[in-house]
Amino acid sequence: MRVIFTILVCKLLRFAGKLLGKGSSLPGQVALKLCPDILSRISLPDYIIAVTGSNGKTSTVEMIAHILTGSGKKVAWNKEGSNQIEGVTTLVLDSATLSGKVKADILLIESDERFAKYTFKYIKPTHYVITNLYRDQLTRNGHPEWVYNAIEDSIHDGTQLILNADDPLVSRFGWGKKNVVWFGADKLSTDTETLESVYNDGAYCPVCKAKMEYSTHHYNHIGHYRCTKCGYKRMDTQYTITSVDLDKGVMEIDGKYKISLALKSLYNIYNILSAYTVASIVGIDGEKIAADMNNYVLKNGRVITFKLGSREGTMLTSKHENSISYDQSLRVASAYKQGCDVMIIVDAVSRKYFTSDVSWLWDIDFEMLGSPNIHQIVLAGKYVNDLAVRFSYTDIPQEKIKLFESIDKAVDHLDSGRKEYIYVITCFSDKGKFLGKVNGD
Amino acid sequence: MNLYGDYANVSAMCRILEKSGEDVAVDRLSLGDSADFSGYDFIFTGSGTENNQKLVLNDFMKYRDQLKSYIESGKCALMTGNSFEMLGKSITDAEGKTHDGLGLLGFTVKEQNKTRMTSDVIYKADFLETPLVGFVNKCSEIEGNESPLFKVSLGLGDCEGCAGEGVRLNNLFGTHLTGPALIKNPHFLEYTAKLVLGRQPETRHLEYEKAGYEITLHELTKRMNENRG
Repeated sequence: MRVIFTILVCKLLRFAGKLLGKGSSLPGQVALKLCPDILSRISLPDYIIAVTGSNGKTSTVEMIAHILTGSGKKVAWNKEGSNQIEGVTTLVLDSATLSGKVKADILLIESDERFAKYTFKYIKPTHYVITNLYRDQLTRNGHPEWVYNAIEDSIHDGTQLILNADDPLVSRFGWGKKNVVWFGADKLSTDTETLESVYNDGAYCPVCKAKMEYSTHHYNHIGHYRCTKCGYKRMDTQYTITSVDLDKGVMEIDGKYKISLALKSLYNIYNILSAYTVASIVGIDGEKIAADMNNYVLKNGRVITFKLGSREGTMLTSKHENSISYDQSLRVASAYKQGCDVMIIVDAVSRKYFTSDVSWLWDIDFEMLGSPNIHQIVLAGKYVNDLAVRFSYTDIPQEKIKLFESIDKAVDHLDSGRKEYIYVITCFSDKGKFLGKVNGD
Repeated sequence: MNLYGDYANVSAMCRILEKSGEDVAVDRLSLGDSADFSGYDFIFTGSGTENNQKLVLNDFMKYRDQLKSYIESGKCALMTGNSFEMLGKSITDAEGKTHDGLGLLGFTVKEQNKTRMTSDVIYKADFLETPLVGFVNKCSEIEGNESPLFKVSLGLGDCEGCAGEGVRLNNLFGTHLTGPALIKNPHFLEYTAKLVLGRQPETRHLEYEKAGYEITLHELTKRMNENRG
């Protein structure tokens, strides 16, 4: 009786919440109060696919859902990205019948990396994708090794691990284990021989702490590595990006499937590869997956094109407090050959909690904006002085940089006579302050 | 030991010394290196993971006596994040294992692996007119720190409910402030650079640093008052 009652309450709260435009964690939170072990009382589908990691969770899960749904599978997934136990509870109960059975072929869960251990205490994933481990929101997360330990506590025997072979911090989850599915990229034309980043989280072996060597760097600590002492190394991959051309916007998977990229970033190709890997394991044909991913535009609002007067631009939603997320966006802008202006806004460091910490700016490789195709750099928001200080420690000529504490004034400046394409790089916490001033799609 | 942009403390010190007319050379030391501290005028160590801190501590033992004479000579050093914990008597890790510290101070450190303790902070120093701002990110508590460096106005101190934070040994400053503390606190940079130079440093280039500091101090003070209200 308690189970039926809890499911019913959760569904009603969810229904009401949707009408009121409220988030999806509250119904699950109430359900967990009413029946703390509700998740273990629900009959779940044969496929329970979980995705965690620092970056790319939301995008990867959306892509997986898109492919699987397109092949006629019924997928229950946390579309709104509420990825802690409360949000997952809402998802599961809202997808269940009153008798407690999830009405889907596949339960697809995006999970917060630090809290996955609580969610998966009740729901054991059949397949578990770990995308990457970056310096992300360190004001809450501590550091990547701390997050590693938290994720490790969420992995159960019998779960099929699906790991990014190119990330030495992630690969360690599968080191010495059998039956791990590895995905990754061959040496790519965009690779560098030496590291191009402000810091190196792959400098030392995560297993024995001896020095590591890279034969190629895809970006930051992602690449082909081996420990100089204990034998730890990048594993051979079953699912592989065999080439990429970011200028033309084409990637190739497993030497045979060409996919055109709506977003020309290395992030995007990894997200597509993880989605491809999962869909292949579920049994979808490679050709079909490639067709579904071809020119796929994410619906999660991470990339938005806009018009400002006579100018056009793209907003690349990046994460404050996540230097690799910024590096990826900066790389997209600096690769725009026709020439562009770049605007960076840091006004509220986080929308979820209070912090005034801007240490993370020092881990971002802003030097990339020194390339000649970047014409003007507009820095804006409450923390514009901190941005200015950070830029003063790059080789970028100061006359290229304009500073505005007011975002409105920065927008007015951009709308006064210049013609170049605009890339706006900022976070969820600040993007509305810009989009409110322009015509977005 | 550079988890939160701590390296920028060195960048800031180099720039202020250069602006003040000095030639500056930087040695970046890693595990297994050997160094002679007597040639240095400033030493910096930054935040690391708990594992890396133990590795560095083990390696740093060989410098103990050198560091002691360096400090006794009155030269300036800054140790941020968990790196200054090495100065104490011991560090007990989350598994309960106790690691000997450098023993230059009498405090002990105890780590846990359940909760990450983080907070924005405001600290007052008796040698500075205005407080310091910054962020603390740790999983340890310090006990037996007899004369803390700072008084805590907002956020975490040495331990739960502690009113003090950090250590000072002559002109060595140890604090759990993470990241570029000298960038965020241009007055603290000025103070330490003066110790390095033995004269007043050039500070005209610190305009944005000062404006950034004022805004952060304003935000944190507002936060502190909200917490009280």
